[in-house]
Amino acid sequence: MGSEHLSKQYDNDLETLRSGVLQMGGLVESQIRGAIDAFAHGNQDLIDQVIANEARVNECEVQIDDDCSHIIVKRQPAASDLRLIMAISKTVTDLERIGDEAEKIARMSRQIHERGHADLHRFATVRHAADIALSMLRQALDAFARLDAADAASIIRQDVAIDTEFRSILRQLITFMMEDPRTISTALEIVWIAKAIERIGDHAKNIAEDVIYIVKGTDVRHTAVEVVEREALS
Amino acid sequence: MDLYTRRLLINRFNLVVSLLTMLFGLFWLGWILFTLFKAGLGGLSAKLFLEMTPPPGSDGGLLNAIMGSLLMGAAGTLLGTPVGIMAGIYLAEFGNRGWLAPVTRFISDILLSAPSIVVGLFIYEAYVVRVGHFSGWAGAFALALIVVPVVIRTTENMLRLVPDSLREAAAALGAPQWKVIVLVTVRAAKAGIITGILLAIARISGETAPLLFTALNNQFWTSNMNAPMANLPVVIFQFAMSPYEDWHKLAWAGALLITLSVLALNVFARVFFRSRTATY
Amino acid sequence: MNAAVLQPVEQALTQKIQVKDLNFYYGKFQALKSINLSIPERKVTAFIGPSGCGKSTLLRTFNRMYALYPNQEAKGEILLDGENILGPNQDLNRLRAKVGMVFQKPTPFPMSIHDNIAFGVRLYESLSPREMEERVEWALRKAALWDEVKDKLKQSGTSLSGGQQQRLCIARAIAVKPEVLLLDEPASALDPISTGRIEELMHELKADYTIVIVTHNMQQAARVSDYTAYMYLGDLVEFGVTDEVFIKPKKKETEDYITGRFG
Repeated sequence: MGSEHLSKQYDNDLETLRSGVLQMGGLVESQIRGAIDAFAHGNQDLIDQVIANEARVNECEVQIDDDCSHIIVKRQPAASDLRLIMAISKTVTDLERIGDEAEKIARMSRQIHERGHADLHRFATVRHAADIALSMLRQALDAFARLDAADAASIIRQDVAIDTEFRSILRQLITFMMEDPRTISTALEIVWIAKAIERIGDHAKNIAEDVIYIVKGTDVRHTAVEVVEREALS
Repeated sequence: MDLYTRRLLINRFNLVVSLLTMLFGLFWLGWILFTLFKAGLGGLSAKLFLEMTPPPGSDGGLLNAIMGSLLMGAAGTLLGTPVGIMAGIYLAEFGNRGWLAPVTRFISDILLSAPSIVVGLFIYEAYVVRVGHFSGWAGAFALALIVVPVVIRTTENMLRLVPDSLREAAAALGAPQWKVIVLVTVRAAKAGIITGILLAIARISGETAPLLFTALNNQFWTSNMNAPMANLPVVIFQFAMSPYEDWHKLAWAGALLITLSVLALNVFARVFFRSRTATY
Repeated sequence: MNAAVLQPVEQALTQKIQVKDLNFYYGKFQALKSINLSIPERKVTAFIGPSGCGKSTLLRTFNRMYALYPNQEAKGEILLDGENILGPNQDLNRLRAKVGMVFQKPTPFPMSIHDNIAFGVRLYESLSPREMEERVEWALRKAALWDEVKDKLKQSGTSLSGGQQQRLCIARAIAVKPEVLLLDEPASALDPISTGRIEELMHELKADYTIVIVTHNMQQAARVSDYTAYMYLGDLVEFGVTDEVFIKPKKKETEDYITGRFG
C-alpha cells in the first residue's frame, strides 16, 4: 500500500503474508475445479486427490493466522496495515471453508458415481452455478491482489445470481424427484452439492467485503448492495 | 615496532612525564609547608591567643591581631556578601537581556583579578584621607571590595547550574519571577552560594596589602572599629621585617595560624558542599 | 466504522481552547504555521508528530511558557474560554495558575514533599495549616502517590524514585486546581510500569480537567487520548477522533507516519 515501511523486514513479512493468501486461494480454486470435474465425470483419482489436499488447505489457514499474530505483536500495526491484517485473518477463514465445501462436493460426487445411475448431463445448471462461484472467487482474489475496491463491489452483485441459480436447481430437482422416485437419493446429494456451491459464493462475497474494508476502511458486511457500491466507488 | 607497542610506550612516557611535573609542583608546596610548620609550630601555644603583641624583647601573643582580623573579616564579609549575592542573582536571572549584565560581569571580573593593593589604595584615597585617620572600618571596606567580585562570580555560576526546567516548573504554577528566584532557584543553589561565601572569607583572611593603608596596625587591644586596628597579616609583615628574634617567632606562628585556618575553611567548604548538593 | 449503523449523537462538546491562525517564531525561524485547532473540554487531546514538528511549541503557547525567553514570539489568537490569552493585558501568572504543566523531566523542588505541593497552592490561596494538609493529601491521592509517601511528607522531594517524582509533579500541578493540564511527554523518561500508572491517572483525571498531551509514542497516544492532532514541520496535518485517526486516517501523510512509512 503505497510507499515502504522504515523496516524492510516488516515489508517482507507483509509481502509473505499476502502471497500466502494468494497461494492458498489458488489451491482452493483448483480444489473447486477438481471437485466439479469429479462431479461431472466421476474420476475416482481426482476425487481422492481433492480429499487429500484438504489437509494442505487447513495447514495454510493455520500458518497464515500464526503469521498475523506475529506481525501484530511485533509491529502494532495501525491504519491500513491494521485493516490488512484483520482482513487477511478473516479471508483465510473463508478460504478454508470454501475448501471444506469443495471436499464435500467431492465426497458427494463419489457417492453419486458409486451408486451408478447418474444422468448428469441433465444437471448443466449445477455446472453453470459452479462456474459463477469459481469466477467470483477468482475475481475476489484478483481484487485482493490489486486492492481494487470497485472490482470487489461488482462481485457482491453476482452473489444474487448464484442464489437465483440455486433456487432454480432446487425446483428442477424437485420435479425430477416427483417424476421418478428412484432418483431421490442422487437428487438429494445433488441438492447438497448445489448448497455447497451457493456457500462458496457467499464466502467469495465475504472476501470481496474484506477487500473493501482494507481499501476504504468501511465495514460493509450486512449492508445492502447499493450502499456497498456507493462506499466502494467513493 | 607494531602499532600497539608504540602506543603503549608513548602512553607510559606521557604518564611518567605528568607524574614528574606533578611531583615537581608538589615538592615546592611541600617545602613551603614544611618550613612553615617547622618555624611556626614552636610558637603555637595558649599564650598566642591570650596575650597582645608585645614590644620587642618581651613575651607576648597575637590576641589583638587575631581579634582585629576576625572583626574586620566579619565586617567585610557582611558588607560585601549581600551586594555580591544580589548582583549575582541579577546576572544569572536577568542577565540575558540588555547591556547592563555583560558590562557588570566584565567589571566584576576586572575587580576580581585586580591587585589587592590597588583596592587598599583606593579606600585610602576615598575614605581614609577624607576621614583623616586609619580605621578598622576602612580595612573592612577594603576587604568588602575583595569579597564582592568573588561572591558575584560564585553566585552567578551556581545559579546558572540550576536547570531551566526547575524555573519553568515553578513559573508553570503561576509563580511571579521574584518568587521563582527566591523560593526555588536560590534555594536550589543554596549550598553552592554558601560555599562561595566561605571561599571568599578564606581569600580575605590572608590579604595584607589592602590593610596596609587602611587599618594600619595597633600595638594594643582595641575593639573600636573607628581607630587603627591590629590584624594578623600586617603584624606578620611588620614582625618579619624587624631584626628581633622573638618577633620573628611570633610572625612564623601567625603565618602558620593563617595557613591552618584557610586550610580548614577550604576543607569545610568542600565537605559542606558535597553533603548538601542535590543531584538533578 | 460500520456504514449502516447510525452514529450515536455526539454530545455538544464545549471547546475549551480555540487556536486561530497561530504563527510562532524562534527569532527568524517560523516553527508554527497558521494553526487552527480546537481543544475540547474534559477530554484528552494528543499531539503527535516527528521531532521538530512543533508539537511542544504549540503546547507551550497554551500557558505562554515561551514568554520566559527573549526572541520567541507568537502571533494570532488563542482563546481560553473565549478570552484571548495572547492579548497584551493577559496576566501571565494567573494564566499559568489556570493552565498547569507537567514536563518531560521530573522536577521536584528542593524542599519537602509537603512543601512541594503547598508551593503552588500558597501562591494564590491562603489556607489554614489544616486545610493545606487536606489539600496536599487530596492532590497526592489523585496522583496515586499518597500511599507511598504519606509517612514521609517531610522528606525532600528529590529522595523519591523517577516515577514517584513525576507523580509528585503531577500532584503539584493538580493541587492548584487548574482547568487545563498540559503534559509534555510526561512518561518518556519513565519505565513501563510507571508509564502505565501515569496513563491510568490520565484516564481518571480527564473527568475533571481538560488534558493536552504531547507524546512521541504513538501507541500511548492511541491508548490514552480521545482526540489526536498530527503535526509535521509546523503544520497541523490532521485532527480528529483518535480511533479514526489510527484506523482510517484522512490524510496520506498521517497514514504514512502512523504506519511507519517515512519514504
